[in-house]
Amino acid sequence: MPLTGLQIFKLLPNTNCRKCGYATCLAFAMKLAAGREALEKCPDASEEARAALGAASSPPIRGVTVGRGPRAITVGEETVFFRHEKTFVRRPGLFALLDAKGLSAAELDARLDQWRDTRIERAGETFQIDGVAVAEVPGSPEVGVKAAVAAAERGLPVAVLAATAEGAAAMAEKIKDQRPLLAPPAHAPDGLYANLAARLAIPLVVSARDLPGLAAAAMAATHAGVADILLEPPGADLRALHHSLTAIRRGALDRIHPGLGHPVFLRVGAGEFEKAVLGIAKFASLLVLPGYGGENWLPLWTLRQNIYTDPQKPLQVQPGLYSIGEPHAGSPLLVTSNFSLTYFMVATEVEATGLACHLAVVDAEGLSVLTAWSAGKFSGERVAKNLRQMEAAARVKHRTVIIPGYVSVISGELEDALGEGWRVLVGPQEASDLAPFLKDVWSAIGAG
Amino acid sequence: MALELKPKKWPGTIRTVTLGGGRRRTLAVGGGNALPLHAFEGSFPHRPLLALEITDTAPGRWPAAATEPWQGVLGQPAAAARRAVEGYGADLVMLHLAGTHPDRGNRSPDDAVADVRAVLDAVPVPLIVRGPGAGRKQNDVLARVAEACGGEGLVLHSACQEDYRTLAAVAVAYGHVLVAESPIDMNIAKQLNILLADASVDLNRVLIDPLTGGLGYGLEYTYSVMQRIRLAALGGDPMLNAPVVCLAGEEAWKAKEAGVPRHKEPLWGDERQRGINWEVATALPLVEAGAEIVVLRHPEALARLRRQLDGWFAETNRGVA
Repeated sequence: MPLTGLQIFKLLPNTNCRKCGYATCLAFAMKLAAGREALEKCPDASEEARAALGAASSPPIRGVTVGRGPRAITVGEETVFFRHEKTFVRRPGLFALLDAKGLSAAELDARLDQWRDTRIERAGETFQIDGVAVAEVPGSPEVGVKAAVAAAERGLPVAVLAATAEGAAAMAEKIKDQRPLLAPPAHAPDGLYANLAARLAIPLVVSARDLPGLAAAAMAATHAGVADILLEPPGADLRALHHSLTAIRRGALDRIHPGLGHPVFLRVGAGEFEKAVLGIAKFASLLVLPGYGGENWLPLWTLRQNIYTDPQKPLQVQPGLYSIGEPHAGSPLLVTSNFSLTYFMVATEVEATGLACHLAVVDAEGLSVLTAWSAGKFSGERVAKNLRQMEAAARVKHRTVIIPGYVSVISGELEDALGEGWRVLVGPQEASDLAPFLKDVWSAIGAG
Repeated sequence: MALELKPKKWPGTIRTVTLGGGRRRTLAVGGGNALPLHAFEGSFPHRPLLALEITDTAPGRWPAAATEPWQGVLGQPAAAARRAVEGYGADLVMLHLAGTHPDRGNRSPDDAVADVRAVLDAVPVPLIVRGPGAGRKQNDVLARVAEACGGEGLVLHSACQEDYRTLAAVAVAYGHVLVAESPIDMNIAKQLNILLADASVDLNRVLIDPLTGGLGYGLEYTYSVMQRIRLAALGGDPMLNAPVVCLAGEEAWKAKEAGVPRHKEPLWGDERQRGINWEVATALPLVEAGAEIVVLRHPEALARLRRQLDGWFAETNRGVA
């Protein structure tokens, strides 16, 4: 059974020496209880404490780092089954599959440069290709070696998708200092690859036909000296895979078998988009994706962003005056609430019109427009006060403010509160109607 | 070391709700007694249902990729319904009476009744009827439809906490199923079901719509609130154990990312495939979080989800009660 924070605290020296990085032993004990810290950080822990804490103090799922340098990625270290219980902490790595067979040197360079440089900004996160999974080309081992080296030289974390032990050794040996992940072919005999991973001190994927076999394979790799392990779950279809993924996470959190306390590795084949979706939602930590274009990457990146958002953060955006496009003094001035879903909807719709706007995000305590209004958080007075605080008047030369259709009733109050010269224009109720509104109404009378 | 995984057993079961009836084909949803899709440790007498959305008038803002499968039948509900069921294999259909909205055509309740009747005559499957969602007009339209189509076991979408009495009354009087919509809020979902029970609605005739956030636009909030609702239901809460319906297609195709053409965002890839992927990546996590009915727009998204769910529920009939 896991120990509680107080039980752990009683085993610590209680010197509050801060060597662990926490202000007090109690704070450290709480982190240990949550599985977010390891006892090794306390240099003064007694033998008795070490024995008592033992497995109970280590995180239920180990962290594994692939690659080195700024783009190295650490996965695992999860502590919950449902994201609402706390949060999912380590976003899964999405690796692009590279089959270099038949590629010229120039084509290889071009593809890797493109993968290295791909960046998409979305809602405060930069989407990037997290690593490259280089497939061994059977019969031409030098092709895979070249590709692995080329990827590693670009600072991209590499997974070596081996077909043979010799091929794997040739590829992994060359880039061992970059901490590649070694992924043997499914159901490869245990010892061969484990010894290689142990010798090179690199992380290893283990697989098996069923869950007990998988846990046993992980234990065998540990005994062979492999420090960092990923589990490749069995599952011929989504139903079987879902069962495996669920059982591994549950088994790890309940600590029913030490062989299950590792992050999960998933290969996604061509035409298996749904498998990637399920994997991202359900506990996969490192996915290899086939030759995907943006139409596949973007939804998967976005799903990962959604699932790995911290659910404890309030659904609010910072109140203030936001620029959509590059607005000038004649651009429309719109008001909305700081409920993040409302903000994203409005910002997206306005952006889609191609018309630059000033968007005044009012502090409505994270409520939607109508709810905020009923709660007195979107009154004319309050909106006016917010507009003054963000000095909206200095940013536009006109004196027209557009409010959401749901709160048309505050028009008069807002006009009074803003003072002489201001005019309130009632916009549509739904963000989706903003485009026609801005096109027709604003262009006709707006800046007037 | 032995590896023993104990199946998780729950005290609660999801209610079984039967849609359709009378001269209409019936479909049942719900009845599961484990976490969604956890077929390895529970029983699921009915598989999740996949619906397609059709509209009374030509939809204004669907991206090209979403309207393309409906060419020739846009704004013709009966023909679109036939295509949805016979051509695309939808289990059931949702008719969205968008054109009755005061700002989008303001069609009358009588027009709505005519559309619903036409769809009912065209296809034998159960029908979800979605109102315009605009306060009084929502009630005017759905109440007239409910009255005119008594005994058809329609699914009326939807009643909310602020305004449920009218629809509760007509659902009871004419034997329809009522969707109780809450704004991504478990407490309101529960409160609304309590109010409906107080208003003499049989909770075996109620579905929960937790309000869907599309991929990239709040999906995670819907996802987590559905998981929490399902945990409460399986824990035995009789006010939260209704089957869940999600309007995944509508929310997915609303996203900017589902519609922007490749020439404007080259890194985003082909917009048609991207849109369909957006819908799949919205819908599948929702099924996994507990949606028993998913309403989609693109038949290819439906076909892809169908393939996965067919594998999942191979031994379960397709919900025929």
